Amino acid sequence: MRRRDVLTSSETLLGYLLVAPLFLWIAAAVAYPLVDAVVTSFLDVGIIGTGGRFAGLANYARTLQSGGFWSAALRSLIWAAGSALVQTVAAFITALALNRSIRGIAFFRTWSIVSWIVPTVVVVIIWRWMLAGSIGVVNYVLQALHLVSEPVSFFGTPRNAMITTILVNAWRWFPFLAIIILAGLQTIPREQLEAAAVDGATPAQVFFRVTLPLLQPILFVVGLVGTLWALNIFDVIWLFTKGGPSDGTTTLPVYIYQTAFTAFSMGEAAAVSVLMAIMLLALGLLYVKYVPSSFE
Amino acid sequence: MNGRLRASETGSAATPAGGAAGGLRRELAHAPMAAGTVRARIGSWRAYALPAAILLVVAAPFYWIFTSSIKVPPEIIQVPPTLVPRSFTLEHYLKLFRYTEYPRYLANSLYVAGLTMLITLGLSVPAAYSLYRLRFPGREAIRRALLLTYIFPGILLLVPLYRLLTSLGLLDRLFGLVFVNVTFAAPFATWLLQAFFTRVPQELEESAALEGASRMRTLALVILPVVRPGLGAVAIYAFLSSWTEYLFASVLIIDNVRYTLPVGLAGIIGQYQVDWGMLAAGAVVMTAPVVVLFAFVGRAFVEGLMEGAIK
Repeated sequence: MRRRDVLTSSETLLGYLLVAPLFLWIAAAVAYPLVDAVVTSFLDVGIIGTGGRFAGLANYARTLQSGGFWSAALRSLIWAAGSALVQTVAAFITALALNRSIRGIAFFRTWSIVSWIVPTVVVVIIWRWMLAGSIGVVNYVLQALHLVSEPVSFFGTPRNAMITTILVNAWRWFPFLAIIILAGLQTIPREQLEAAAVDGATPAQVFFRVTLPLLQPILFVVGLVGTLWALNIFDVIWLFTKGGPSDGTTTLPVYIYQTAFTAFSMGEAAAVSVLMAIMLLALGLLYVKYVPSSFE
Repeated sequence: MNGRLRASETGSAATPAGGAAGGLRRELAHAPMAAGTVRARIGSWRAYALPAAILLVVAAPFYWIFTSSIKVPPEIIQVPPTLVPRSFTLEHYLKLFRYTEYPRYLANSLYVAGLTMLITLGLSVPAAYSLYRLRFPGREAIRRALLLTYIFPGILLLVPLYRLLTSLGLLDRLFGLVFVNVTFAAPFATWLLQAFFTRVPQELEESAALEGASRMRTLALVILPVVRPGLGAVAIYAFLSSWTEYLFASVLIIDNVRYTLPVGLAGIIGQYQVDWGMLAAGAVVMTAPVVVLFAFVGRAFVEGLMEGAIK
């Protein structure tokens, strides 16, 4: 008995010791900055990263009274919801396609996520080139198929820029999310599918009555995490449009960036960050509360 | 070979269905093997059609940028575009390396990504061993905190991390970028390692302990060799996440001399007239290491991802 106590205590000690470096790193680089963001949001800080007088709620007042913040918040929601919808649907279809025991399927699974692993700037160059007005291959194909009569200006109007950035971002993310859903598909016990088939259910019935309900939890997670990640996207939007045209793609991340490094008011940018964190938390809670994660 | 049932278990033969439920058809094929082989062969190219189409959607743009990078300028902007290049030139690559700062950006990126990879491994491997092989109070809480960290939107840390690095004297220093990149890579890397660490049979550890090896020796000599594919996957993830990072690299680095590739290349996009050939070459050079590295550990990476996702 005593020997076991010694053993467990040494295991506990080793456990803490080995996890400590990572834990301390995260504490210094995530936890402390979070507290600092809240503190900064009450200070009058310009571009100089330090100092600043106490400003009370001035940063919050300025932010909440500015139309820019509210329209950025709305655009963020539209952008994230659009991204989440497109990429989750595409990911689901992809997961079903990759859930086959055929020779070489590992090759398809592995290389399908190449769009997710290449640098954003490469993604942006590729698509800017393919979507270019008169010389872009996409417009050429659309015109050749007589789908459009003249070249589409993919980034020309706020609406087009919004749709285009959503689609490119979804193109980038759907394979990664597909792999996550695929993992869920593979946990479905074969016996359940077989039992349903033996009971005379058609494959479509099996899919809707067995597969889909069992997948609910993982689709739920992919929807939630996908939305959160989409709300966090800055680089794709910024490199395509700089938030334009006429602020049409200025989502909250772009707004935070501009407030901090174009308008040079760190305090206000921190306030926007805190408000955004509150929004995300509220969204997360609403989602967990109202979106069923599984059929009971 | 899974999905094939023994003939003794035959039920009603499932009706073939296309589309989404097509994958189920194979699973539910109750026909005996002999009759099934013919049908499987006929169905086999159809089983590949959708995966191939998806791969095409993902890969075709890369083909397009690569071919654009080796065409002569008139052919690049030719309408109709040529699917197969009619010309071949390396001028865009030469221009990129001779007349722009691209080589310098490349060196900076390699340095930042390499160091990010090493530090991430150093933090996440011991942490993963601790969290997924050892039992101690508070383990669950730390695991959950890690999950939260990697779902956490990095944009919210933009202002405070900028302030923190300024006060640490790491602004406009490549190490400042390393610091930030490790912060975002390490939690995910630790989580990804879970799949590989939980795979190690308990008996391996026990027999090593019986032979009197200390825990650290066991970790180094018994466990690490087993989880090697996982180490590769995590190393590559850390490298790539740093290789692509744009937001913090654009904010924390001020001097052009220290730009990393994403920021440098984005700057080249904005310069004078858009030189598509040169940008394409820049994109290809930046993609090459990603593809090469992924060729080695991509499979382990995807496997780790799938195993981690369902835990």
